[in-house]
Formats: sequence, C-alpha cells, structure tokens
Amino acid sequence: MLTFQYYLLGFLDTVAGHFMLVSYLLAVTDEQAVWSRLKKLPPLSLSPVIAFLLSLGLSAVLEVGILRYFIMSFVTLVMCSLWVTWAWRWDIWRAFSAVCMAGILQVAATALVQVLFLMFPSGLKLDAAAMAAALLFSAASAAMLKRLHFGTWFRLLLEDQANLRRTAALIFALEISMETFLILQNGVRGQYLAAYYSLAVVLVLLMIGLIVYLAHRFDDSRLLQAQRDIIIQQQIYEQSLEDIRREIRSFRHDYKNLLAGLPLQTQEGAQDVLCATLPELDADFDRHLGEKIRLSVQIGNLRIPQIRSLLLCKLTDMGNKGVECRLEVLYPVERISINVWDFVRCLGVLTDNAIEAAQDVQQPWVEIVLLAQGGSVFLRVANPYTNVIDPGKLWENGWSTKGPGRGLGLSGYRHILEGYPNATVCTSWENHVFVQELTLEDRT
Amino acid sequence: MIEIYICDDEDAIRQQIQTALERKILAENYDMKVVCSAASAQKLLDAAKDGRQGIYFLDVDLKDREWDGFRLGQQLRRRDPYGTLVYITGYGELAWRTFQYHLEAFDYIVKEPERVGPSAARCLEEINMRLLEQRRNPVQTLTLRTGEVVRHIPLDSILFFETASAAHHVLLHTQGGRIDFLGSLNELEEQLGEGFIRTHRAYLVAADKIEAVDLKHNKLWAGGRECLLSRSGKAKLRRKAEGNQ
Repeated sequence: MLTFQYYLLGFLDTVAGHFMLVSYLLAVTDEQAVWSRLKKLPPLSLSPVIAFLLSLGLSAVLEVGILRYFIMSFVTLVMCSLWVTWAWRWDIWRAFSAVCMAGILQVAATALVQVLFLMFPSGLKLDAAAMAAALLFSAASAAMLKRLHFGTWFRLLLEDQANLRRTAALIFALEISMETFLILQNGVRGQYLAAYYSLAVVLVLLMIGLIVYLAHRFDDSRLLQAQRDIIIQQQIYEQSLEDIRREIRSFRHDYKNLLAGLPLQTQEGAQDVLCATLPELDADFDRHLGEKIRLSVQIGNLRIPQIRSLLLCKLTDMGNKGVECRLEVLYPVERISINVWDFVRCLGVLTDNAIEAAQDVQQPWVEIVLLAQGGSVFLRVANPYTNVIDPGKLWENGWSTKGPGRGLGLSGYRHILEGYPNATVCTSWENHVFVQELTLEDRT
Repeated sequence: MIEIYICDDEDAIRQQIQTALERKILAENYDMKVVCSAASAQKLLDAAKDGRQGIYFLDVDLKDREWDGFRLGQQLRRRDPYGTLVYITGYGELAWRTFQYHLEAFDYIVKEPERVGPSAARCLEEINMRLLEQRRNPVQTLTLRTGEVVRHIPLDSILFFETASAAHHVLLHTQGGRIDFLGSLNELEEQLGEGFIRTHRAYLVAADKIEAVDLKHNKLWAGGRECLLSRSGKAKLRRKAEGNQ
C-alpha cells in the first residue's frame, strides 16, 4: 500500500513539474495568445506518463540516484522541446533554449518554496504541501515575469539566428549546473539548507540578469548594423538628391533665359510662342524632377531607422530589377504598435513577394502605401500578377502567386502576426492586381 | 436634391469652381445645388453637419494647423459614409493612392488657372453618371471598419464568414479576397438574416454561394473554399432546401 502511495506521489510530482515548466514557458516565450497555445496542451500529457514509466524502468536497472535523475531530466527536456517545436512551430534549438530557461526558473521556484518551508516550519506533510505551494508560486512568478517583460528580452536573444546554437548550449549548461546544484543539497547539513537554497535563488536571478544583458547587447548591435546599412543606402539617396540639385540648376538657367526674353516678346506681341513654351517647361519640370522630389519627401517621412533602411534597400532592389515603385508615406511614421523588427520582417516578406510576382508582367510595378495616424499604422502592398489564384490553397503554407513552394515567407508573416491581437490582415486579388493589407491598431 | 460643398482657402480658385459647377448644374438640369463654399475647414464642417450623400470638393493643402485635406476627408467620411469626395491639388505631389484607399476619394482636379473650372464640371458629370447608375442598380452593401478604413462590401460578393484564431476577429471571404475585421458571427447572423446559414459554430455561409456539400465528412464548399458543417448546420441546410422546393 505504501509503495502505491509512493508511486502515486512520484507521478503527481512529475505532472506538477510539467505544469510549472509550461507556466514558465509561457512567460519565457512572451506568449500573447495564451489560450490558443494551451489548446495544444493535450499531447504534452504524454510526457509525464512516459517520464514516469521510464523512471520505473530505470529504478529497476540503475542504482545510482544522481544518474537516474539526470537521465530523467534530460528526457523531460527533450520531450518538452519537441512539444514546443510543434506547438510554437519553432525550430528545435529555439525550443530547446526556451525549455532549458523554463527549467532554470523551475529550479529557482522549487528552491524558494523549500526556503519558505524551512523558515516557517508547519505541521503539514512536506511533500504534498510543497507541491501545491510550488504550483501556486510558479504560476504567480510566471505571471510576474511576464509583466516584467522578461519574455520579450529572452525572445530577442533567440532572434540572434547566427548564435542560436551557442545560446542554446549556454542555457543548457546553466540548466545542468542548476539541476546539479539542487541535487547536491543531499550533502548539505540541515542548518545550512536555507542559506543553500537562497543561494540557488540568487544564482537564478543572476542568470536572468545575464540573459537580459546579452539580449540588450544583441539588440544594440543589430540597431548599429541597421544604422550602418542606412549610411550605405543614404549614399544612394544622396546621389538622387544631387541629381535633383543639378536639374534644378539647369532649370534655373532655362527660366532665367525665358524671363529675360519676356519683356521683349510681349512688346513684339509674340504671346503665342510664350503660351506654347510655358506649359512645355512646366511639363518638363514635372517629368524630370516631380517624381524624384515626391519620392524623397516620402522617404523623409520614414522616421524609424529600421523601416527606412529596409525600404531604401528594397527601392534599390526594384530599381535594379526594372520594377517601378510607387511609394506613398503621407504622414511621418514615428511609432509602431508592434515590435519594430517584427514589422520590418512583415514588410520584407510582403515587398519581396510583390517584387517577385510583379516581374512576370510586361511593365512591372509595386505599390507601397504606408499611413501612420496616432499610434496606428496601415500598410498596403500591391502588385500585378499573371498566375491563376486558387482561393482554396491561398492560405496554405508555401503557396504564392508564383506557384507552390515559393511563398514560404507568407506563412512566416502570418506566424509573426498571430502573436498580435491588434493586427488585422486582408488579402484581395482583382483585375490581376494582388493586394496585401496590414492594419496595426494602437490599443494601448 | 444633392448638396455640394466646396472648401479651398484660395478665393479665386474657389470662385472658379463654384461658378463652373453652378453653370453645369443649370445647363444639364442636375438635381444638385452648391450649398456651401467655405474658405476654412471649420466653416465647412459647421455647414455640413448632417450631410447625406453630399458631394465635397476639398483642397488637399489647406493652410490650417488642425486640418489638412486628408483629415477633413476622414471627418466628413465619418459623418457621411456614402458621400463623394473630390480633391483639389496644386501640384502633382498628391499621395493619391492613400486618399483613394482610405477615403474612397472619387477623383482629383489640378489647380491650374483656366483649367480648374472645366475639370470640376467634367468631374461633376462623372459623379452624376455614377449616382444615376447606383440609383438604377442599387447594390446592397455591408459596411465594415478596420482601424480608420471603412469598406462597403457588396452583399452578393460575400461567400462566407469564418471566426479567426485570434479572439473577436472574423474573416470575411469574398469572391476576390479575404478581409479580417473585429466582429461576431452572432451579430452578423442577426444582421444579415435570411440569405445566410450558420452551418457551424465558426461559419456563416451565403446560401446561394454553396457549391458542394459533403455530408459524410461534414464539409461544404463556397467559392472553392472549404467550410465546416455541424449537425445542427446540416438540419438548417435541409430545412432551407425543403423550403426552396
């Protein structure tokens, strides 16, 4: 009977551990749509069952407790990572890093609950009460971490694709050391236990600090890179300003000549000639300068460096590919209600797809309208296309107007926006023009 | 009678447009009248308090700190969602597409002495033709708002509504697109009435757009797109089919 209770408790312990891990996962990944993520929870319930059966099997084979503990922890980490890969549609390294981070936080929660029990001894049976307390505490602290936006920083760190594996290895190493730390409690004398657990909590806080610091560094370097890009792009932009200046100088010359001849011509009554020259000059001015001046005003309204950098880059790209670009930015874009990098990625996907599809047409063009009002931003990207659109397949992954397998960007686009309830996405195709619209409302 | 409003802070231009419009109305015997010719946005807004399907000629570049042509247009759209907006612009720097998509602006005329009057008259002729066409074939529309953008969707282009994965978002599938907006299927079902069937908790389908039904796999198709079918949805379909016979 005792053994049954023992096993039941063991199983509940595993389940509770998973619960804590998931609540920290939601905090660490800065999940906005918590409920839709929780809907994908059922398959994860396999994990505690497998873990429990495995622990039964292992206890029959292995005598050494520590080794068993490590194998169990590792298997749980892997199973949870696989679940995250599936539920979040992340790649395995990102998922693994997130799960390890959640694991570290879980260790801290366990340690803190132990400290509380040591400091305020109660008559409760430690196991069950500790479990309940740990559950409550983990939910509360996960909510707090979310409020403190730790998840935003952590996600930022994971965005560093180039160093993703290194980040994953670092967090995994931290997780192992924390787990070891917790195991070593067995060798600590009773009177030092509280101090020992407190130390564990302090260590985790330091790790959180480290993560935030690393994310900060990454963010700074990325912004620096964007600014460097802008400087390069700016040179092209300045070149076009230089063109404008040169043309204005030549127009000044023409106008001066015209004005100088004016008194003479009116005296001679040659008004017909005058009437013919003026509109011609005017049209000439519009043709040579109007469009360039207009474009430079639009670009000037892009006040966010990352967005400006991306659009300048795409404008150059379109120029090289012979795609006419119509850009309209009526009001200055200074603020955006979602993460700027997420917006830049969306904009990149939409313009890339538009440029690619437009090239099938005789006279390719892409139209980008960006309107900022208050904190809300509206984006519209339109392009001509020639392929046939099958509305039944349009929203499947990997579909584009260029045919299947080309529009991989679009699923990423939708995936980014899933996390933002203030984003609305519209798609339409009519008269061989394909239009994507994105509205980001400011709901703060 | 259709009311015409003009707003431009250049007196000469405003005068020219007004004269040209009044002459055109007289010559063609349109049922229209220039009721307001204002030099400032505020004066126009005071006059157009309860504008109903009016025609507005607005200067893009108002020298006003609070109002420019775009903001004035937005304000007028809120009051008069079916009105006609025409913009008067001084040079070719107008961000015309932004005006088109956000305000459903009808057209623009360029401020050139001599030409601005005739352009305004020609524009009025086109507006008149469109209004006549609308009166002849009235199109029933559904009005949706995403952010500041208001859309009028013809009812006969609607295939079905579907609840999106994000809370309170509804996806409207039309013949040529998919629109995301904030709303609820229950309200839409009540508003649209007869022609639409709630085939599933998450689907509201236009009855005349259903192409195929697969009772075995609980699916149906409208416009080549797949919808779900629930048990109560099947009963509703059956009732509808019997009613039609």
